[in-house]
Amino acid sequence: MNIRQATVEDLMSMQNCNLLNLPENYQMKYYLYHALSWPQLSYVAEDHKGRIVGYVLAKMEEEPTDVPHGHITSLSVLRTYRRLGLAEKLMTQSQKMMVEAFGAHYVSLHVRKTNRAALSLYKDTLKFNVEGIEKKYYADGEDAYAMRKNLIDTKKSVPRGVVEEINPAVAAH
Amino acid sequence: MNAKRELPAKENAIFKNILRNYEHKQYKKGLKLADTILKKFPEHGETLAMKGLFLNNLEKKEEGYEFVKKGLRFDLTSHICWHVFGLLYRSDKNYEEAAKCYTHALKYNKSDMQILRDFALLQTQMRHYDALIETRTQLLQAKPTNPPFWIGVALAYQLVGKYDIAIQVLEAHESALREQSVNFEQSELLMYHNSLLEESGDIEKALEHLETVEPKVCDKRAWKVKKAEFLLKLNRLEEAETAYRLLISENPDNYSYIKGLIAVKGLNADNLTSEQQSAMLKIFDDIQSDFPRSTAARNLPLNYASGDNFRNRADAYLQSALRKGVPSLFVDIKRLYSDSAKEKIVEELVTGYEVSLEKTGHFNEEQDEKVVEPPTAYLWTLYFLAQHYDKQRKTELALKTIDKAIEHTPTLVELYMTKGRILKHGGDLEAAARVMNEAREMDLQDRFINSKCAKYYIRNDKIEEAEKILGLFTRPDAASPLQDLTDMQCMWLTLEEGDSYLRQGQKGKALKRYHTVEKFFSDIFDDQFDFHTYCLRKTTLRSYVDTIRFEDNLKGSHYFVRAAVGAVKAYTSLADKPSGANGMDEANMSEAEKKKARNKARKAELKAQKENKPPKKEQVKEEAPKKVDVKKPTDEDPEGEKYLKTTDALASALEWVRPLEQVAPKHIQTHLLGFEIYLRKGSMLLALKALVQSWTIDKTNPQVAKNIARFKEAVSANPPANADVKAVIDSQLATLA
Ligand SMILES: CC(C)(COP(=O)(O)OP(=O)(O)OC[C@H]1O[C@@H](n2cnc3c(N)ncnc32)[C@H](O)[C@@H]1OP(=O)(O)O)[C@@H](O)C(=O)NCCC(=O)NCCS
Repeated sequence: MNIRQATVEDLMSMQNCNLLNLPENYQMKYYLYHALSWPQLSYVAEDHKGRIVGYVLAKMEEEPTDVPHGHITSLSVLRTYRRLGLAEKLMTQSQKMMVEAFGAHYVSLHVRKTNRAALSLYKDTLKFNVEGIEKKYYADGEDAYAMRKNLIDTKKSVPRGVVEEINPAVAAH
Repeated sequence: MNAKRELPAKENAIFKNILRNYEHKQYKKGLKLADTILKKFPEHGETLAMKGLFLNNLEKKEEGYEFVKKGLRFDLTSHICWHVFGLLYRSDKNYEEAAKCYTHALKYNKSDMQILRDFALLQTQMRHYDALIETRTQLLQAKPTNPPFWIGVALAYQLVGKYDIAIQVLEAHESALREQSVNFEQSELLMYHNSLLEESGDIEKALEHLETVEPKVCDKRAWKVKKAEFLLKLNRLEEAETAYRLLISENPDNYSYIKGLIAVKGLNADNLTSEQQSAMLKIFDDIQSDFPRSTAARNLPLNYASGDNFRNRADAYLQSALRKGVPSLFVDIKRLYSDSAKEKIVEELVTGYEVSLEKTGHFNEEQDEKVVEPPTAYLWTLYFLAQHYDKQRKTELALKTIDKAIEHTPTLVELYMTKGRILKHGGDLEAAARVMNEAREMDLQDRFINSKCAKYYIRNDKIEEAEKILGLFTRPDAASPLQDLTDMQCMWLTLEEGDSYLRQGQKGKALKRYHTVEKFFSDIFDDQFDFHTYCLRKTTLRSYVDTIRFEDNLKGSHYFVRAAVGAVKAYTSLADKPSGANGMDEANMSEAEKKKARNKARKAELKAQKENKPPKKEQVKEEAPKKVDVKKPTDEDPEGEKYLKTTDALASALEWVRPLEQVAPKHIQTHLLGFEIYLRKGSMLLALKALVQSWTIDKTNPQVAKNIARFKEAVSANPPANADVKAVIDSQLATLA
């Protein structure tokens, strides 16, 4: 499987993959927002026919009150392609880019408390730590673990210009 | 100045506040203020227009239009009234009309920045690039201190292919920028600049530029990729090799990096001498020994090796995967079957394992007696073989093999999924869905198996059951599972349901689904609008230009093609035999049968309505904005009767094919669909053109042969009166052999 940076042409396939795999879904505009804000951070796994079989959709959190850090919006691999190390590779590439292009200090994510596969991937393979529990984080009432992983020790942060976030509603002017 | 437009000082101050309210999205406040002016000056055009704008933003679209139009009637030469009118159209996504309004507005106020800015966005959306250049230039001249205006001009020139001017503009802009420390926006801008040099074709210059900007670029990966590509293009092979090896060390699973290295070595994958073949394989082997976790380096050599070398590599690859238990092994291997020699070798190997594992617990006889394979190795071997036989459509053997695996380990979901697939391929859709459902029930937490199971039900035309199953993972506060998945632009489901309704002869519902897909596409096209502003500030311009190009070709997507295939089928069959109001094929039914079928459809509908209980209210925290439209009106036409009422079904069908002819002229479906329509319309020359195109793309496609015969038949039944037309047809037909 080919592991490469996601392009705008991949977004529809990523959306499809997400809808097949996960209950947290997003409209196309949200994918575009990722691709046009942090084009370096999202990755796909592609089979030999060019079909997308897994993806990681990631972003930067740029709050003035915190150091820059990455966040995993969504990660999934089609069931028929699981346990090949794809998720791990996708995550590793995305994390590298968070540091390289954006000076991220750490990366965070949420995961369902009962998601055994994902928990094992984050905890054991990728060495994330549990930061806390967010009660009823998911639409069906399930709790989430908030997890994070440090990406750099004592590197200076790259200064970033402040750019307004796009308003997802149709801005009237 | 228009006398009626002039307001007394007090009202004039209020009016200024109104404009400010709009800028700050204080629509209710603005509306109130507008009313205070209108009390005294009920015919003040600009206030009326602003009132309309506020109403529009407060979800009162129709009233909004009324007030804006009224305002315009009182003040036809006001740029504000025209601008506002344009904004309403724009929020309605009616870009054509909006553009007309802006043109009017600019007539009365040539240099209004806000109107020019809005106009530029529209022109980008509508791809009126020549006009865009003009507007962008005007904006830049008016305010050269605003960086996005410089970028806007450069972009506009790039989009018409005038790279030299685009580059000059960027250079001027960059030279005026203050020295700044490394930052993302500047880095993106410089890499965009570099992409212009590349697109202009001057690779030498692009490489030089790349070197000079290096210290300011934080997208290091993209920088390295470009460097490697440029060096390769310039034939500086030694440096290119270093560059590609560096990239491979950063991501040893990226095919394009590995392909780059192969190209550097001058190896052309299609035509290898045995010497070159060994060179190629050595590249992979080296990468693998440097990066043992690279699956690409282990996997790709199977494409290039042959004979015994292939056998040895495949043997090692298969054994290690079967030992570990990699469920995707077969989907990974089956690509090699395009080479029948390889297919045979794989079969020999794996059937060998089966026998040996069952007898001795080893993959083969020669194996060291002390190495014991895990018992699951046999299981995964059976699993592989079942899929292998299924691929060869030896359904019975495949079923026998998968049942053996299930007997061995009755708890593995994958086995049932595969059994379902085999049954589906064997044509037993009902059993396939049943087995898939067993699989689903074994792992209720996994949405993937849930989705697959639902799909199998739909393949068996059990839509109601499917939607119930899907509902286990859709939002609890959505009106229905289907509604949630429609809100989320779920292509696969909408297409599967469309195809199922079409199979069932319910053309109205089928068309409704296909048009839902069309709506997804028009929404996705509209999605780019806000980014015309956003990206100029954010400077993610490389991705932005990709987006523009992607949106230009959006309907070439296989999802759209699939919807078009279904919609054209539905519309052409409507044209062939107009059906009853409910969209069922009633042509071949007796009166009693018709009645029965209609009753059944009604009952199903009522039942479905009952099951869609009112949504539960639930406070949910979202990971991301799922825009849920609370005020969405209930579906007024669940049967899709609107589409059945088309007076010209062929014209409706053609609307699906037109965009394909534009963006997917190399796709055979485009022309097969076109043929269906043109033949029925009696547009023989267009039908002929479509026929020739489809023949050129793939003369072995069975439909092409059928279409040639149909076309000939149509011509002989109805010979063209015009001799020239006849000559063209004859000469073209003669080439199709
Ligand atoms: C979670 C998920 C993304 C993992 O994808 P994957 O490509 O199969 O994961 P990898 O092959 O990279 O796994 C790496 C490691 O994670 C752990 N892991 C992955 N799946 C596991 C499972 N089902 N059980 C236990 N551990 C698992 C293992 O340690 C594994 O290493 P190993 O195979 O060498 O033992 C995938 O299961 C998935 O898409 N699930 C549904 C969607 C989802 O839950 N996404 C995460 C939302 S936060």
